[in-house]
Amino acid sequence: MIRSIEFRAMSTTVMLAAEGEGAIPGMYAAKSFIDECEQRFSRFLPASELSDLNGSAGEWIQVSPDLMDLLQLSLNYYRQTNGIFDPSILTDLKRIGYDRTIDEIRLAGADASASQPGPPLPFEEIRLDPANCRVRLPRGMQIDLGGIAKAWILEKAAQLLHRYVDVCGVSAGGDIVFIGRPLDGADWDVYLEDPRSPTQTLAQLHIPSGAVATSSIMKRSWIQGQKVRHHLIDPRTGEPARTGWLSVTVIALSILDAEVYAKAILIGGEQGLPPLLQAGPPLTWIAVDAVGNISGSSGCKEYMYEYAAEPS
Amino acid sequence: MKLLKIGIRFWITITSVLSFLIGWVMLAHAPKPAQTSAAWTNIAAPLPTLEPLRPLSSFDSEEGGFPSQPLFSPQTNLRSQFRPAFRTGGS
Repeated sequence: MIRSIEFRAMSTTVMLAAEGEGAIPGMYAAKSFIDECEQRFSRFLPASELSDLNGSAGEWIQVSPDLMDLLQLSLNYYRQTNGIFDPSILTDLKRIGYDRTIDEIRLAGADASASQPGPPLPFEEIRLDPANCRVRLPRGMQIDLGGIAKAWILEKAAQLLHRYVDVCGVSAGGDIVFIGRPLDGADWDVYLEDPRSPTQTLAQLHIPSGAVATSSIMKRSWIQGQKVRHHLIDPRTGEPARTGWLSVTVIALSILDAEVYAKAILIGGEQGLPPLLQAGPPLTWIAVDAVGNISGSSGCKEYMYEYAAEPS
Repeated sequence: MKLLKIGIRFWITITSVLSFLIGWVMLAHAPKPAQTSAAWTNIAAPLPTLEPLRPLSSFDSEEGGFPSQPLFSPQTNLRSQFRPAFRTGGS
C-alpha cells in the first residue's frame, strides 16, 4: 500500500508518498530533512545561510558544501541556458514587490512603487572557490535560489526516503520526483493542472519514474499598483517574463533539469526553444496557453493518458 | 380588444376539443398490443439447486467464538489501488 503525508514547507504544499515497510519512518526522516533545508536556503529567513551570503556581497564568505553545490549547479545551468536561468534576479524580484513570502504578500499586498531595473549584473561575475567552500558575490548582486533549491531539496529528500523503501514519490509546488514504480506495476499518476483554474485538470500523465516540474506565471502572482506581477523574471529585461504560455511542464530524468528547463522554456517562449533544447538534456515539455490549449514536444503524448484537448 | 379576447378563448376551446377528439380516434384505431405467447414461460432456466448452508456452529474455532479461517482473504491486487494525487501545480 502506498502511504502518503502532506505538510506545508517552502511556501507550498509538500507531499511524500512511499510504498514498503519503512514508509512511515522514511517519510518522517524526509520531512525533517526538508524542514532543515528550508531554514538554510530560504531568502525570507534572516538567519538562513542564503541571507548571510546575500548580506556579504563584495566579500569572500565561507559556505556549506551543500550551498556550494547549489551555486555550482546554478552557474552550470546559467551557462547551459545562455542566461535564461538566472538566480541573481533577486534585486528585480524585490523591486516588483516580491520582498516577502507570497503568503504575506497575499495577506498585506505588495508595495506600490517600482523603480526601473538597474544595469544588468551577469551571474557569471560570482566567484566560487569550491576547494575551500568560499564564495564572493559582486557588490549589488543578490541570489534567489527558490526553484533550484526546491528541486535540490526534493532530490535529496527522495534519495533519503529511498533508503527506507524501494518505491517513493516526493512533490512540492509542482515539482515531483519518483523513484521506482509502484508494486502493482502501474505508472505514477500525475494530473496536469489547468493554470487558469487550479481545481481543474487538463490531462492525466503516466510517469514510470524520474521527475516532473512545472513553472507557471499564475501561481505566484500579485498586484503592484495597477500592474499584475509574477515571479518569473526575464533576466534580459529585469521584468516579469512576457510569454504566450501560462505554464510549462517538463518531464526529465533529473528534477534539477526538469525545474530549470520548465522555467527557461516558459521565459524563453516558443522562439527560445530551439537553442534551449539543442544544448539541454533529453526532456519532454508540455505548455498550456491562455485559452487552455496544450502544445508540446513530439514525445509528450506518450505520457498523456487522458486529456481534455488534443495536444498540438 | 374585447372581441379579440373572445376570439382567443373561442379558438383555444375549439382546438382543445378537436385535439382531444383526434387523439381519441387515433388511439381507438391503433393496433392492439401483441398477445403474449404461452411459450415464453418455458424459456426461463430452471433454478440451480444450492447446497444447504453449513450450520453456524461449523464457523466456530476449536476454542469457540471466532472462525478458524477468515471468511474472506484480503486481495493482494487491491492493496495498491490507493494512489496519491500528484498535481503539476507550478511554482
